[in-house]
Amino acid sequence: MIPQAAGPGDPPTALPLAALLLGTLALAAGASALALHPALLASAAPTPAFLALTHVVTLLYVALLFAGTLQQLLPVLLVTRLAWPRLGSFALPALVAGSAAVVGGFALGFEPHLLAVGGTLVTLALAATALQALRTLAGASRRDAAARGLVTATAYLALTVALGFLLAATPHLPALARALGYPVSLHLTVGLYGAFLLGIAAAGQRLLAMFALAKETRAYRLRILTGLVHAAVVAELLTALARLPLHGAATGLLAAAGALQLWEVAALLRVRIRRRLEPPVQRYLLAHAFLPLAGALVLAGRPGGAGIALLLGFVVLAASGMQAKIASFLTWQTRYAARGAGGGAPLLRDMLLPGFEPLTTFGLAAGAAAAALAASLRSEPFAAVAGVLLAIGAWAQLVQTVAILFGRHGAHAGRTAAPLAPKEQA
Amino acid sequence: MTPTLHTLAPTPDPDAVLAALGEVLDPELALDILSLGLVYAVQIAGEAVAVEMTLTTPGCPLHGSIAAAVEGRLARVEGVDAVTVTVVWDPPWTPAAMSDAARHALGFS
Repeated sequence: MIPQAAGPGDPPTALPLAALLLGTLALAAGASALALHPALLASAAPTPAFLALTHVVTLLYVALLFAGTLQQLLPVLLVTRLAWPRLGSFALPALVAGSAAVVGGFALGFEPHLLAVGGTLVTLALAATALQALRTLAGASRRDAAARGLVTATAYLALTVALGFLLAATPHLPALARALGYPVSLHLTVGLYGAFLLGIAAAGQRLLAMFALAKETRAYRLRILTGLVHAAVVAELLTALARLPLHGAATGLLAAAGALQLWEVAALLRVRIRRRLEPPVQRYLLAHAFLPLAGALVLAGRPGGAGIALLLGFVVLAASGMQAKIASFLTWQTRYAARGAGGGAPLLRDMLLPGFEPLTTFGLAAGAAAAALAASLRSEPFAAVAGVLLAIGAWAQLVQTVAILFGRHGAHAGRTAAPLAPKEQA
Repeated sequence: MTPTLHTLAPTPDPDAVLAALGEVLDPELALDILSLGLVYAVQIAGEAVAVEMTLTTPGCPLHGSIAAAVEGRLARVEGVDAVTVTVVWDPPWTPAAMSDAARHALGFS
C-alpha cells in the first residue's frame, strides 16, 4: 500500500506518490516499447505510433509527475495551504485515464473517439489543476518569481493539452483547420518551453537551492526567462494565426531562455555550501547538458533531434532526478516523521538503493543522447541502442521508486557532527 | 505519624537538554540541528523548555517534522514537563552558524 499521512485539510500524500509510481511505470513501458520497435524513432515523418510514444513520455510521465508533485510542492514553495486539497483525488485519476486514452487513440491510428474522450479528460484535469495552482497563489503571502513561474508553467501545461486537442481535431473539422492551420510548433513551444522548461526552472531554483544548500540567487534571471518564454509563445501564436514569419524569432527567444537557465544553475552552484551533491541532484544537473546539445542540433538543421534532446535529455533527466528526491521526502514524511528525526528514522539518502542511481543516470542520459542522434540521422541502429539504454535507465528508476516507497529502511543512529552551543541559553 | 514527603520535580539538566537537541537530525543533511546552527536559543524555566530555532531555508518541507522531533525528544528528558518550539526566519540561517565539523561533513571548509 502506498504510504499516506497528512493533517486534516492537507492533500493526501498518497496522491503524489501514486503519480510518481505510475509515471515511472509508464516511462519504463514507453522505453521498452522503443527498445522493441526502434524504427519508430528513425522514421522520416511522425507516425501514429511515434506520437503515442511521445505522449507516454509527455503526459503519462512528465505531466503526471508535475501535476502529482504539485499537490505537495506548491504549498511548500508558497509557504501556504493548498487550495481545494481534495481536487487532486479527481484530477489525477482523470489525467491518467485521459492520457491512456490519448495514447491509445494515437496507437490505433488516430482513433477519433479515444482521442476525443482522452483529450477532454486531460484538458479538464489539467485546467482544474491550473485553477487550483492559481487559487493557491492568490492566497499566499510569498509570491516570488519561483512560485509565479511554477503556477505559470501549470497554466501552460493546460494550454498545451488544449492545443493538442485542437490539433487532433483539425483532420476531422475542416473549418477549424482553415482557421488554425496545423500549429504543431505552437503546441511544442507551449509544452516543451512554457510548461516544462519554465516548470523545471522555477521548481529547480528552489529545490536545487534546498538540496545544495545554496542561498537563493537573485530572481531577475528567472523573471527574464519567464518573459522570454511568453514572448516566444506570442511569436509562435502570431506565426500560426496571422501567418507572420516569426518562427525564427521564437527559436532565438527560446535559445536565450535556455541560456538563462544554464546561467541560473551555474550561479546556484557557485554559492552552494554542500559541495558533494547526491546522485539524483547530479542527474538533475546533467540534464542541463542537453540544452546546448538541442541548440546545436537546431543550428545543424535537425529540429527533430533537438526536440528529442530537449524532451528525453533535459526534461526527463531533470524530472527523474527531482523525482527521486521528492519521493524520498514524501515517503519519509509519511512513514518516519512520527518517529522523529534521528529517533529511529532513516536518513533520506539511506532510502535510496545506491547502485541504481548510477544505472538510472547512465541509462537515461546515454539513451537520450543516442535517441537525439537517431532522430537526427534517422538511424535505426542508434534508435535500437537508445531504446535499450532508456529502458535500462527507466527500469532502474522504477526499482528505485518502489524501494523508496515500500522498502524497509534501516534507522540511522547517533549524531554526525560535534555540536555548537546555542547562541543564548537562559 | 509519618510525614508526607513532597518531592519537587527536578529542574532539567541543561547539558541533558543540549544533548537531546544534538540527537535531532536533519534527515536530508544527516547532521544534527545544533551542529547546523539551527537552534538560536534555549530557555529553561522550571520544568518548561522553550526552543527558538530556524531551518536552512523558508518553506523547507521538513519544517513540521523537525519541530515535532525537537518537541518529542525534549519531552523525554528527565524533568521536562512542557516544551515549546518556535520556528523563526529572522534572523535567517547562514552558513556561519555551522560548526567546523558540520562544514567538513558537507565538504565545505
